[in-house]
Amino acid sequence: MSAQGAAITDDLLLHDLVGGLSMAGRGGAAGGAPVEPLSVGVVGSVAHAPQPPAHCLTSCLAGDVTAIGSRGCAFLISAARNQADATHPGVGGRRSSLANCTKGFRVAAQVTSIGGQAATVLTVEGPLSAGVPREGEAPAEPGAADLLGRLDDAARLVQRIGQMLEENAGFANEILQNYEQLNLIFDLTQQIANVTDVREIEKLLMQRVARLLASETVSVVGTDGRCRTYSSKPADQRSGRPAASFNPADLAQAVDFVRRTRHVRVAGAGGRQIIAAPLVRLDDKVEVVVADRSPARGAFSAGDMMLIESVLAFGGQIISNTELHERMHRMLLEVTRALVAAIDKKDHYTSGHSERGGFLTRLTAKELGVPPAQQQFMEWAGLLHDVGKIGIPEEILCKPGKLTPDEWEVVKQHPRMGYEILQPIASLGVILDGVLYHHESPDGSGYPEGLAGDEIPLVARIVHVVDIFDALTSTRSYRKAFSIERALEIIRAGKGTRVDADVAEAFFRAFDAYRRDHPEDFAARFYALPETECSHVHS
Amino acid sequence: MSRILVVEDDPHILRLISMWLQRQGHVVLEARNGLAARDLVRAEPVDILVSDINMPGMDGLALIESVMGEGCVRRGVVVLTNRWDHAEIRDRLAEWGVQVLPKPFSPSRLSELVESLAASRKAGSVAVRPISSERGPCS
Repeated sequence: MSAQGAAITDDLLLHDLVGGLSMAGRGGAAGGAPVEPLSVGVVGSVAHAPQPPAHCLTSCLAGDVTAIGSRGCAFLISAARNQADATHPGVGGRRSSLANCTKGFRVAAQVTSIGGQAATVLTVEGPLSAGVPREGEAPAEPGAADLLGRLDDAARLVQRIGQMLEENAGFANEILQNYEQLNLIFDLTQQIANVTDVREIEKLLMQRVARLLASETVSVVGTDGRCRTYSSKPADQRSGRPAASFNPADLAQAVDFVRRTRHVRVAGAGGRQIIAAPLVRLDDKVEVVVADRSPARGAFSAGDMMLIESVLAFGGQIISNTELHERMHRMLLEVTRALVAAIDKKDHYTSGHSERGGFLTRLTAKELGVPPAQQQFMEWAGLLHDVGKIGIPEEILCKPGKLTPDEWEVVKQHPRMGYEILQPIASLGVILDGVLYHHESPDGSGYPEGLAGDEIPLVARIVHVVDIFDALTSTRSYRKAFSIERALEIIRAGKGTRVDADVAEAFFRAFDAYRRDHPEDFAARFYALPETECSHVHS
Repeated sequence: MSRILVVEDDPHILRLISMWLQRQGHVVLEARNGLAARDLVRAEPVDILVSDINMPGMDGLALIESVMGEGCVRRGVVVLTNRWDHAEIRDRLAEWGVQVLPKPFSPSRLSELVESLAASRKAGSVAVRPISSERGPCS
């Protein structure tokens, strides 16, 4: 504890105390001049410190006097209860005593406690109005009749102030703890905003829990009993088993309790304690977070229990939401793939066409600076662009040889059919544009609406380029596949008329970079193109 | 144990910060605004200054500029500021090596920063680069 801090606290306290004693004294001393306490001393500090005559000091106070004021007696600074008792044999508990100062000053002592510390309140009484008695001068007799009563008032006041200080410290602790929690929640929110992996979120959360509880390790006990153990030091991660320091019996008992009640539990009497708290995940699965700390750090408090509970409630919510989001995303992807597989079955394309369509659309969109969330939608547009083929009769779609003009008109219905299939799914938005308009050309020669230039949504312009490329590099019933270079040349020749020039350029850049930077992936995707049995070029 | 001056115009927050730092074993001085703080450190230098930014009279930035150049703060400065000003203040003070915490402050973060500043002198490093080379009352 710093001396400065004690002084700040006690100054406030003593200011009130001296005021209080003055009030108590105002009732007047029986039959004498009004007296007021000149000074009050409390363990550790001094307030209103008058200079006492030296002889007064020695005769009144045999204790450890470390402060001498300017008027009246000084008071004990470091008197502990025993010392005060020794100095003033009558003092102890609620009793008080008076001691006569040789010069007529009276000192009363009351032992009490302030903020949990033993304190001696000394009231030094002298005739204020008469000033300091000079050497050899008879001091005015202080009216001491009710000194004991006033001293009791003073002691009560000191006790009340002591209680208030304790309450204050309690409130301060609570506020500090709330600040810590609030910061944890702010930090987690901020960190987690950039993290989409549930395991990563859990790791961040547990590291913070470990730090907050001053624990070295924190284990998450899964529903299957397996543990994931995290250390407050990020470099030191273990898993599969609980922290070695946990007592197995305590652990089993605490985990069982938390699973049943979903309340926090502290276990392990005496020695090394553990604290266990619920982490409720998706589908109401209750996992148990267990932390311990070295006995030197002290026992877990009610504050620690509240802290871990609130932090895990918040963290569990984030983890559940992220898991739910992942699940939804996966489901959507699976449904999309199922739909794509249905088209590919019908068309006898391999799923390669749709897959590559999605992949190249995303690559090109990224090259064009499309924001990541939009890239995802555009990828889906690339995947789903041919979904309407499901509505084209198989004999036309798979007809060997050239189509008649009427049959061609039927094939040209597929963008609109795809749009109609997907249209009830309102959230698809940009995907619908990609499906409906992926055969439109900048010069207005495309279908189904003959849109031109910027009238064609960006996603459709991208899917259009990608679709042409993939069609050209695939073998059809009536022709062999073109080489990649030849396909790129054909697209280049159509810039501004058949295909959007900027999009085509972005496609070339993205394609070249991919081919250069990921040669193995590239070979797997583009050199192993399976032969297709049928299908007409429709680009 | 370090000698720390806490400057904060809100008396409750001021008490809270002092109480926390005292509990960590530091000697804590308090001031309610920049001018009072400057007078205090000029009278006797401190190891660490923990300061708010928005204060009447002399604000935290002016205080830091004034006392750091004078060498009245021996080890370093920690700034506590509003969450919404945090990023801007952090960027402004980054160059001076001043750490900035958003309010309500994290007690554990504050202790960590104070401890690392306290340790920095032992390691012989200079925690704070003086802003101006003018020699002030503390140099």
